[in-house]
This record gives sequence, structure tokens and C-alpha cells, in this order.
Amino acid sequence: MSPFLITLAAALAVGIPALATAWAQSRIGPAIAASMAEKPELSTTAILLVAIPETMVILGFVVAVVILVRGG
Amino acid sequence: MIIEMSKLRILGPRERLEDVLRVLQDLSLLHLSAPEAVPLAHPELSPVQERERRHLRDALDNVEQALSALAVGENGSAAPGTVTPADQVRWARLAWRTRRETDRLTAQAAALEEERALIMKYQHFFSAFRSLLESESRWPNAQAYHVLLRGREAGTLPRLRASLAAVIGEEFQLFSQALPSGELAVLIVVSAQVAGRVERLLAEARVQEIPVPEAYGGKSLSVAIPRMLERLGKIPREMEDIRRRGQELARAHGADLRRARAALHDRLQALAALPLSGVTTRAFVLEGWVPARARHDLERGLRTAFGEDVVVSEVAKEEWESEQAPVVLANPRLLRPFETLVSLMPLPRYGSIDPTPFVAVFFPAFFGLMVGDVGYGLLLAALGLVLHARAKPGTTLRNISEIIGPCALFTIIAGFLFGELFGDLGQRWLGLRPLLFDRAEALVPFLLLAVAIGAVHVVLGLVLGVVSARRHPRQALGRGVSAAMVVLVIVGLLAAVGVLPRGFFSPVVIALLVGFPVLIVLEGLVAPIEFLATLGNILSYARIMALGVASVMMAVVANKMVGAIGSVTVGILFALLFHLVNFAIAAFTPTIHALRLHYVEFFGKFFSPGGVRYQPFRHWTRAAADRRAAPLTPGNPRQAA
Repeated sequence: MSPFLITLAAALAVGIPALATAWAQSRIGPAIAASMAEKPELSTTAILLVAIPETMVILGFVVAVVILVRGG
Repeated sequence: MIIEMSKLRILGPRERLEDVLRVLQDLSLLHLSAPEAVPLAHPELSPVQERERRHLRDALDNVEQALSALAVGENGSAAPGTVTPADQVRWARLAWRTRRETDRLTAQAAALEEERALIMKYQHFFSAFRSLLESESRWPNAQAYHVLLRGREAGTLPRLRASLAAVIGEEFQLFSQALPSGELAVLIVVSAQVAGRVERLLAEARVQEIPVPEAYGGKSLSVAIPRMLERLGKIPREMEDIRRRGQELARAHGADLRRARAALHDRLQALAALPLSGVTTRAFVLEGWVPARARHDLERGLRTAFGEDVVVSEVAKEEWESEQAPVVLANPRLLRPFETLVSLMPLPRYGSIDPTPFVAVFFPAFFGLMVGDVGYGLLLAALGLVLHARAKPGTTLRNISEIIGPCALFTIIAGFLFGELFGDLGQRWLGLRPLLFDRAEALVPFLLLAVAIGAVHVVLGLVLGVVSARRHPRQALGRGVSAAMVVLVIVGLLAAVGVLPRGFFSPVVIALLVGFPVLIVLEGLVAPIEFLATLGNILSYARIMALGVASVMMAVVANKMVGAIGSVTVGILFALLFHLVNFAIAAFTPTIHALRLHYVEFFGKFFSPGGVRYQPFRHWTRAAADRRAAPLTPGNPRQAA
């Protein structure tokens, strides 16, 4: 496969989940900030909720690495 | 670990109930719980006690308000040994008098501050009108108008002059001066006979006249401004006088008020404890929890105070559910700072597993693998030492500084394993070579290492889940099968890629096919989904590799700035800045993700939240009150005992 396609595939593999993560965090962030204003004890939940969508981009990154390594 | 608790039952004659409660409060060991035996009644407060409680609350409110207004510190807030009703009355009076005095001082200070703010509103006019006022003084029988023209209205000054001339002829003087705000201060001085016509004209033109505060001499600024300036000079002295009187009050009554607060809290707690007892016509029963190792201390204390009148017996473990028992975490000194990280989650139930020791091992390890740089590790260690020196013992900051230490150590170790010192600077300058592999190059080995660590961590979590479910055999068996199947999947994968002999593959697949129905029988239809989620959890540890690679790449990019930018000095500055940013990111992001790996992937396998905090019936202290106000922080056994 051409290097261009391999690079494009890797970029898409990490880029699309990055957008998804950003979108999810943009929704979670304000909601949890509003909740914490009333209940500061929700800080642990806040950490978890904001960190959970990052799994998408991290797994996307792993897939991108696999594509690049396998594609040579 | 969660320390073992004993449930005790205390029996005695009813008339000694209050004395027993007083001694228990002194001992500070028993976490009271209401006895549930049927023939027992829970005594309600008598009308006299209800009235006393109302008075105590009022007095306490006065004490708190007075202490807050006087900004009295927390030193020496222990309650005196014996408190008589006369003491209570004296403190209530003192609190009422002091509060009345502090309220008066607060009101005076607020009024002075308000007055100062009002005068300061006129500060621009002071300088602007000072020269104009001298002009005014030359017209003894004249009427003065002080008006303010906004910047955009400044062009109206000639029109104002023309209009005045049209209405009253030449019997006026008009002076103006620009203000820093862009407005124009204007003084119109007219003879008293034409004042009415000028007022009408100004009203019709909607020109704003500067209002003169009544308190400073009525209508004319010429009278008001000197008085306002005089007051402005006096206000700081009056404020200082109020502050001094506040300090005198604090010196005179602060210590008494602190003692009063502790004693009033103590008495209120004693009254609140009464309904937690059970009574018959002649006897009382108290039940509660005490750390097993402190049981004899409590028995000895009661025997010394009451001899054979009061009997203490242990309630058999078969009579109580472990979920009812309060929880005390007790870990070795080295591990105790990590209780701070566990305390961000709800307290674990009694009888379940305290994850603190595991967090103390894996959290710094994950952090170190993600940052993995000798230079950053040393910086982190320095940061930890500074924090440690500045934080007071027992504070959250001190705990954080003590968590930073192991994190820095693991970061330095990982830095040697990956051969990193501020990125590739160690390799280029000091000939540092990776002992394990170079993270920037060996992406796949690093990924495999991260996932392997994840597999170990998750399987450990599943095994702990089996241990914590030991009283529920079916649940324990289900968790055990699940753990075994995760191990089988890993073995199967290793056999498939040739790391293990290929002969393992077929038996593993057969074992998995057998395991699935068993898992469904034991844990229900949701079990396969949970099993797949567990495999997903293992993959989630890939974030260790992702963040690690991001960290080393940032450091390498920072180093390349020195050569990439024309000027070496500018390049070095940019490189330092970039390293600083990378260090800041390295301090926070791995923390969040290491926490997440624990809270979601690890705790999810065995952690049972919902424990009741051990809160012994004790004398009031500020620190204990703060702990009670923070619902997610578990009690410290050393403070409790």
C-alpha cells in the first residue's frame, strides 16, 4: 500500500477519535463543572467523567501506531 | 487495611446513663449505634433538656459569630475538664455581650467603609472643582450649580453658554475643567435672583447636576468638598480605632470563647447521644463499635469509673452484619499518604478490601512509566521536597508531597530503563543508553509492556474480587471463573503469536468454550458483556504507552529547538520553556490517568464502597468537626483513638 494511504489511515485513526473525544469532553466539562459548583465532593466523579472519553483517542493512537508499524 | 472492630453492649442502672455517656466522651473510643432490641425504648429529651439544648444552640451561635468577627485562631480550643451549669450561664452571657459588641463594631466599620466609598466617588471633582470653587467664593450672594457633561456632550458647552446668555443675559460665570474619565466638570455661578430660571433651563436641557450629599452641608459643593476631605482624613483613624477595640475584645475574651465553644459543643453532643441509648424503667443499654485492639481500654475506663455497676460485653459477630460496622483505615506510615488518593472515592465497606497498599505500589509505577525521564524525576523530587518542607504534618499538601516522592523515584528508574534525561539530551550529552528500550523508537514493545501491566493489574483486581466475595461463594466462584478466563485469553493470544508453544492454543480455546456457559450460569446473561468489558479494561492500559510516547516526543521536540532556531540563546530559551510546559503536563496528565486506571479499571473489580466512617463519641475539636464536614475523608485511626 502506498505510504500516502498508510499515513492517511493512521491520521484518520487518531484524528476522528480525537474529534469524538473533544466533542464528548465539551459536553461533559460544563455539566460536571455546574454539578461541582453545587456539590464539590463530586471532584472524583469529575476526574473520571472527563478522563473516560480520552480512551477513544488513546485507542485511536494505538491503532494508528499499529497501522504505521504494519504498513512499514 | 481495614482494622477489626468489636461491637460492645454496655448495661447499667438508668440513673447513671448520663454519667456513663460523660465517661465515654472522655474515653473517645465508642462509635455509638442505637440498640435494636424490641423491649427497649429510646429516651427522648425531657422538656428541661429540650430547653437547655435550645439555649446551648443560641449561645453557640453567639460564640461562633463573635469568634468569626474577632478572627480568633484555633489554638487551645479544648474544653475544660469539668463544666458546671454556672459555667454555661456565664459563657452564654459572655457570648451574648461579645456578639453584641462585635456586631456594633462591624456595623461601625461597614458604615465608615461606605462613607469612604461615597467620598471617593467625588475624588475627581475634588481636584477639578478646587480651582473653580475659589471662583465661586468671589461671588458671595450667588447660587452655584455643579454639572457634569459627558464626553460626547462636551460640544454642548458653547450651546449651554449661549442658552444661559439668552435666558439670564450676562449675569453668570461659567468655568469648566476636564476630568480623567473624559467628562467635563462645569461650575455655573449665577446671581440668586435668576437661580430659578437657570434651574428650569438645566432641567429642560437634561444636564446632570452633581448631587451633593446632604450629610456634608446641603446644596453647595463649595461647602461639601472641604468637609468631605476632612472626613476622608479622619476615617482611617476611626477604622484603626475599631480594629484596636476588636483586638482588645479578642485578647480579653478569645480564650474564654474558644473554651466555651468546645464545652457547648460537648454538651450538645452529649444531649444528642441520649436518644442513641435504649432504656427500660430501671436500666439502660448502650451499643457501639470500638476498634478490637482498643476494647480493653474502654472496659478498663468504665470499670475504673463505675466498678461493677456498669457491665460491658461483646456482641457476638453472628448477631451483626459487617455492613453495619464503621470503617477505620490503618496502614503503615509509608503507605498512609496514599489513603488521600483512596479517600477521593467513597469509604470501602467493613469486611471488604482496603485498596491503599495496591495503590501505593501501582500508582507511582504507572506514573513513572508515563513520565519516564531522569531529569523530570529529579525536578519532581525537588518539588516534592519543597512541598514537604512547607506543608504542615497531617495536611493534604503534606500527603501529596509524600506521594510525589515515590512517583519521582519510579520516574527516575523508568528514565534509566528508557535512557531518557530531558528527552534525548542524556543520550547526546552523557551517552545514556536505554536499559530496556527506547520509547521513541520501540512503540510496539512499549505497547505490549503497557498492556501486559494492565493484564496483571486487572487480573489482580479480579483475584481481590474473589477474596472480597469470600462470604458469597457463588459470586466468588463467578469472579474466579472470570479471572481464569482472562488469563486463558492472554495465554491463548501469546500462543497464537508464538510467544508460548502453539500447542497451548487449542486447549485454551476449549477451556474458554467451556468457561462461557459456566460464567453465564454463575453470573447471568450480563456476564459475557462484563467479560468483554474486562478485556477492554486491559486495553485501556495502552494509555501508559500513549502518554509515555507523547511525553518523550515533547521533550525531543524541545531539545531540537536549540538547533532549529537561528539564535542559540533564543533556541535555548524556547527549549527551556517547552521543557517547562512538558514538565507541567507530565505532572498532571499522568496523575489523572493513573487515578483513572485505578478507579475504573482496578477498583471496579473488587471495591465495595458505602462504608460508614468510624466517628467515636468524643469531645469536640475543630479538627474533628472539619473531618465530619468532609464526607469523603475516612477517619484517621490515630486521631480517633
